[in-house]
Amino acid sequence: MKYSLLLNNQRVEVEAPGDISLLKLLREYLHLTGTKEGCDVGECGACSVLLDGKLVNSCMVLAAQAADREVITIEGVCLPDGSPNDLQQAFIRYGAVQCGFCTPGMILAGEALLADNPQPTRTEIREAIAGNLCRCTGYQQIVDAIEQTSLSRKEKKGHA
Amino acid sequence: MESFETIRATSVSEAMTLLNEPGLRSRALAGATDIMLLLRHDPHYCDRLVDISLIPELRKIEEQNGRVIIGAAATFNEVMESPLVQQTAPALVQACHSVGAVQIRNMGTLGGNVVNAAACADSLPALICLDASTSILTPAGGQSMPVSRFVTRPNHTLLPSGGLLLSLSYPIPASGSRSAFLKLGRRNAMAISRLTVAALGRLNDDGRIAEARLVTGSATPSIERLAAVEELLLGEAPSDLLFNLAARATVAEMLRLSGRRWSSEYKIPALEAMTARILGQVFPLAAA
Repeated sequence: MKYSLLLNNQRVEVEAPGDISLLKLLREYLHLTGTKEGCDVGECGACSVLLDGKLVNSCMVLAAQAADREVITIEGVCLPDGSPNDLQQAFIRYGAVQCGFCTPGMILAGEALLADNPQPTRTEIREAIAGNLCRCTGYQQIVDAIEQTSLSRKEKKGHA
Repeated sequence: MESFETIRATSVSEAMTLLNEPGLRSRALAGATDIMLLLRHDPHYCDRLVDISLIPELRKIEEQNGRVIIGAAATFNEVMESPLVQQTAPALVQACHSVGAVQIRNMGTLGGNVVNAAACADSLPALICLDASTSILTPAGGQSMPVSRFVTRPNHTLLPSGGLLLSLSYPIPASGSRSAFLKLGRRNAMAISRLTVAALGRLNDDGRIAEARLVTGSATPSIERLAAVEELLLGEAPSDLLFNLAARATVAEMLRLSGRRWSSEYKIPALEAMTARILGQVFPLAAA
């Protein structure tokens, strides 16, 4: 079938089978390999993307369900010049990126949280990333990075 | 060659037409979180999936004639964030909150949880505790039945072929009622329930139990209110002693309905503790 979606703020059209997951459409037909395939059964969160602004596991969504809707992948999270945004910089600074496999999903989970709840508590941050497994960091650094980004965004807003 | 097709329905009538086209095995698709797993095991599970998840009337949550009506395609997150559900059914809010993690709650739907009817479905004990009913549309017309009758056993419901679950509804509990839901899993997120318990209770003016409802999940083959336990509580004054008696009666009901199983050694003390705890939440003890 022919898919049309608003992908990372760009209208894209692609021909692909009608019975594949959104994850497969992104990685194998749109060649956006930033979204990772971990468990492929909705348990690990490595394939997290935003569908109409909501965090979802792209392995658990049929590509056909995303047709004509808005999808944001990790490739769509950056500053206008393409460099890492503040949350991504914080992940680097706090050592929240180790092997890096969970990072795209973690960043999207963090952005989804901050869009919804700009000043989360640490407990809320932990709950927001509860569907994203990380086998390297022990999570502490990831929670720190999201918390710091929330604080610095608040400060920036205050100055504006 | 595609093993099935997916078509998005924009209205209930269009969904019914798509679901009932002769010669095709069609299934309704909502959040996809269960169906994706089925499709992975059996890509030829059906010929056509009819995506009902974006039909506006299937996502509404509203109050009508003393009942709260929740569209079958409302997601777990939409249900738990609804002020109407928060005010009338904390047990259902807590049950929806205990499902998966954010990613699953953003896609998975209340209707899908009921139709899939997994033995460990978190919403079922809460819905049955709320005396919830289903509203079903079939090619022959509409019908309604209690959730406890609709779900006959794990993964089996009375949904007729070609039928569509439209909504779930429950009568708003009498004022002064409290409800709660507890889940035991191996970790907080993404855990399949080992045991769940939902309760609703209300005290009369002299502090005695006027209404008691108790339902367990993942404990018995069919999920229903435990009348024997509820009768034991009615008319009594809340006390730890009473809650412990009721907890032991709940365990006795589980063993009567399920028999002794490999998991009983674990489930007996766990269910006993969970029951006593949830009764303490819905029947506040008078200050000593």
